Amino acid sequence: MIIPRLNLPVIIGICCICLTLSAATQAQEIDLLLKNGRVMDPKNKIDAKMDVAIANGKILRVAPGIPSENAKKVVDVSGLIVCPGLIDIHTHVFVGSKPDVFADGILSLSPDDFTFKAGVTTVVDAGTSGWRNFPLFKEQVIDKSKTRILAFLNISGVGMVGNPTQEDLAEMDAKKASETVRAFPDYIVGIKVGHYDGKEWQPFENALEAGRKANVPLFVECHLPQYTLEDQLSRMRPGDIITHSFEKVTERMPVIDDQGKLRSFVKDAQRRGILFDVGHGGAGFWFSQAVPALQQGLLPNSFGTDLHRFSMNAGMKDMLNVMSKYLAMGMSKEAIIQRATWYPAQSIKRQDIGNLSEGSVADVAVLGIRQGKFGYTDAGNNRIEGKEKFEAELTIRDGKIVWDLNGISAAPYSTKN
Amino acid sequence: MSFLKRCAVAAILFITIAGVASAQQIDILLKGGHVIDPKNKIDGKMDVAITKGKIAQVAANIPTKNVTKVIDVTGLFVTPGLIDMHVHVYNGNDLGAYIANGQTSVPPDGFTFRAGVTTVVDAGSSGWRNFRQFKEQTIDKSQTRVLALLNIVGTGMFGRFEEQDVADMNPVMTSHMIKTLFPEILVGIKSAHYWGDFTQVDKAVEAANLAGVPVMVDFGEHEPPLSLESLLMKHLRPGDMFTHTFSYGPDKRETIVDESGKVKPFVFEAQKRGIVFDVGHGGGAFSWRQAVPALQQGFKPDVISTDLHTQSMNGGMKDISNVLSKFMSMGMPLQEVIHRATWAPANVIKRTELGSLSVGSDADVAVFNVRKGDFGFTDIRGTKFKGTQKLEAELTIRAGKIVWDLNGIGAPMWDAK
Repeated sequence: MIIPRLNLPVIIGICCICLTLSAATQAQEIDLLLKNGRVMDPKNKIDAKMDVAIANGKILRVAPGIPSENAKKVVDVSGLIVCPGLIDIHTHVFVGSKPDVFADGILSLSPDDFTFKAGVTTVVDAGTSGWRNFPLFKEQVIDKSKTRILAFLNISGVGMVGNPTQEDLAEMDAKKASETVRAFPDYIVGIKVGHYDGKEWQPFENALEAGRKANVPLFVECHLPQYTLEDQLSRMRPGDIITHSFEKVTERMPVIDDQGKLRSFVKDAQRRGILFDVGHGGAGFWFSQAVPALQQGLLPNSFGTDLHRFSMNAGMKDMLNVMSKYLAMGMSKEAIIQRATWYPAQSIKRQDIGNLSEGSVADVAVLGIRQGKFGYTDAGNNRIEGKEKFEAELTIRDGKIVWDLNGISAAPYSTKN
Repeated sequence: MSFLKRCAVAAILFITIAGVASAQQIDILLKGGHVIDPKNKIDGKMDVAITKGKIAQVAANIPTKNVTKVIDVTGLFVTPGLIDMHVHVYNGNDLGAYIANGQTSVPPDGFTFRAGVTTVVDAGSSGWRNFRQFKEQTIDKSQTRVLALLNIVGTGMFGRFEEQDVADMNPVMTSHMIKTLFPEILVGIKSAHYWGDFTQVDKAVEAANLAGVPVMVDFGEHEPPLSLESLLMKHLRPGDMFTHTFSYGPDKRETIVDESGKVKPFVFEAQKRGIVFDVGHGGGAFSWRQAVPALQQGFKPDVISTDLHTQSMNGGMKDISNVLSKFMSMGMPLQEVIHRATWAPANVIKRTELGSLSVGSDADVAVFNVRKGDFGFTDIRGTKFKGTQKLEAELTIRAGKIVWDLNGIGAPMWDAK
């Protein structure tokens, strides 16, 4: 074997070439480079003009001035917000063909029909299924959808099949529920209680017990007309979530009293760490509640839409529309993006999503802000006006472009292609 | 005055008052918009009055006295509710199925109203064997008016393989179902996805002759491709529809524009002969390299439709407003675009009570905003064409009821006294 005699400058030279080559190889690994956007990543306290590089379905790098020569695709997102894919923690997506029910029925919706066009990459189903039918939900919808679907498991084993079955106390088995949570830790993020007309606290207590056993939060979806709001909040633990926070319906005391004041026990609950989700839905959001609540410091922790057949075409429409309402009500963009990404991720203990940390899954939303004269309606068909509106320009799920409103990632048409 | 005279006077007074009240009773008055109603050759500033679910009057300056709800639509375009003549909405959870009772179909209501559509025509998702399930599961449960073309294959679009079964193409059963059982819903016959010769098309035409309805042909998937000229000039009859007009996949489907960019002469001949050219955008059937030269050379499609399903909804198609905007960006005037999604399809499917604002017809109405700006539109090959206008559905009314109100123009302010 002949070992060539190399002098020091030659060795240094070879090393330099090797380093350059390996650096170049690294640079070539970028599949998609989003250039010049306003990156808003609340977890990492980033709110600045930066580029986002995506490779192999993961966030590779977030930094200013990432070179574009070796990126397979470069998308100019100047003037747009680049943030983690939005998380909608209140939806009903256990869609099926059964008439007039949510569980495996037509009142639920297919998530992909609504999510990507609104910048959403993760939804949490709010207890449409229980321990009996979660496996069917998973097989039929979760495994078949491009949207990431997580779930709060209903304390009722049959989920939302309508009355009287869904109110059967015998179905509300804390042990079975907690075992199911533990069997599907990648999907089930909490226990839901709601839709119970009796006076007994057993459903609530069983849900709490299941939550304790499985170490997950409780999601309180109300529709519990015999329980007072104060009692519900007092039984909830820090980190538990109450939804339909700003509803004004006969079956639950509103958070704002008749004099327009935020009730003191609601403030106390907030101080104690109870989380308030919007849960807009068809009847769960009223400006007469939400506006004074915001003014008096009750900010929602998340913008759950309560997406289902009766909310999709009403005042709710989609998650960006709900966020735009808060823009019109005066909340800052920073506070809104936080509550659409990192806050909900934390509330469901899924810190792996809702951020743009290097190495996390590349779920990204690129949002435009339309300027103009816009109107937004609540559950009572009352309107508020605003000058700005969020619009989803580009949505990326797992590194893949799944929505491109104006073809900003597309090549111009020519007769050759 | 005698008692009788007083009674007579009272009766006359009562009748007069009742008469005045009924003349003035308007449920919704759309005021100050620009009405485009191709059937009635209206293209100008007019008001539209709606009463009891019907169009009551279309005229300039209708008085607002005694109107239940006046909506100011100044600066907006008021048109008949759009008819999307090519969709797949036989949604279901047969995980082994393709479009019939499968997850590739979508429930219509989440897509229609937000794009100004009030009527869809399902393009052969079901055949005579499974249409009744489609009707029970989807048609009867939707707010959107759902009409359908019945597939010549008995099992509809259950799967590509089953669609090849000539033994299951039964013209007699197909025509019976249309003529005898469901003439209100079934408006034609679909032939699609066939790998063989002209047998399937001929069977569809045979059934159509028996039922007195038109045929729609998705003419692809023959290797090598069958002659398009033969289809359009020999096998189809005037009034029959050729869909996926601007698709480009020359290995399996003859194109209307040749490789040198010229529209083939027989295409103009066929249109003159009465063959209806439908867009049927879909996930794989609209290429700028076909559409742009065709329109430049004066070839215009007769009907603009979406081919809505899960593979098209988040791609270049998006919704019918987006597809119509594409044609506007290629230079087609708004009036012509609206015609191709209202009165033109109503005629093709022989449902001339739809697609217009004639007094007495069902009050299916769309109100559009034409956004100005820099927009991009992509085709199924991921190439982009730019435009400066984009249609946006502001308000959609179905049978006299507001089913979509983007900016709450039909709602009072939340803090109004």
